[in-house]
Amino acid sequence: MKIEYFILAAMWIFGFISFILFIPRKERRKGFLALMIFQAFIWLCDMPSFKYGLLSAPVREFPKATDLSITINYFFYPVMFSIFYVKRRVRGSAWARFKYFFVWISVLTLFDIGIERYTDLLEYGYLTWYGMWIYIGLLFCVSQVCCNWFFKDKAFFQAERRET
Amino acid sequence: MRIEWWLLLSVYALSTGILFLIPKNKIRLATVAFLFKQIITFLIGLVVVELELLEYPVRLFASINRTSFTYEYYAFPVTCAIFTVWYPHNRRIFIKLGYYITFTSILTLGEVIIEKNTDLIKYIHWEWYISWITICLSFYLTRTFCTWFFAKPED
Repeated sequence: MKIEYFILAAMWIFGFISFILFIPRKERRKGFLALMIFQAFIWLCDMPSFKYGLLSAPVREFPKATDLSITINYFFYPVMFSIFYVKRRVRGSAWARFKYFFVWISVLTLFDIGIERYTDLLEYGYLTWYGMWIYIGLLFCVSQVCCNWFFKDKAFFQAERRET
Repeated sequence: MRIEWWLLLSVYALSTGILFLIPKNKIRLATVAFLFKQIITFLIGLVVVELELLEYPVRLFASINRTSFTYEYYAFPVTCAIFTVWYPHNRRIFIKLGYYITFTSILTLGEVIIEKNTDLIKYIHWEWYISWITICLSFYLTRTFCTWFFAKPED
């Protein structure tokens, strides 16, 4: 079996374990919501990016159905964002929050570049490494803003609880 | 422009119109229903196309994606959002059942008409009742998730 499939399997296993390990029981709703919001955005942004040749995924899970990478878009990056969102410190200084954000984005970009360089899971077209950094950064920013909006109003959230 | 593109356009318009029917105090519920539905439709949509059970000859992002982006990313999740928002949660069981059946049947009927008359979707190894069952099941799963999500935390 090709190394690519091992990496895909590893992403699923690692993703599952880290979701269970790093997201406390109490925060599970938050984690799920962050995951789902990030997923919605990454699909929306990846469709045009793949279409216009910014990047491509030569080895993928459903080669007939889509040219996009399922594991990364559907599961692995959303889980990473979910951990990022749940674990972040809300009350830190702006500098601390920026550092946290910076480290997360950079590590993910490094991982992405590593996958691009050493495997066939991803192939950059017009995209450069700093383009990827900005791309992931934007996705994280937008998703975080949306999650913050969702959890902004505690009272509101409670009221909706009773309505279900 | 072909009839299919007009249809896609009107599906976008209609879905966006439906968004305005969501009451302001239930926006979060609608959001969760919408997002969770996407998780289901994306995966199942890809699997059925990969197994060549059905195909979408006319579609958006045609060169890179063989599933229906419009339906799976937008139209169906929006329908599910309105389904969850309007759900008669404090009514009797057969009203709830009727609610499920009505929503599912309207969607299935629409799909069958579109399948018969246009190139937006073609059944290969697929029947209308499989659509009916999967749509109904996905509504149920989304509702179950929403009830869990908005339930009082157990601690």
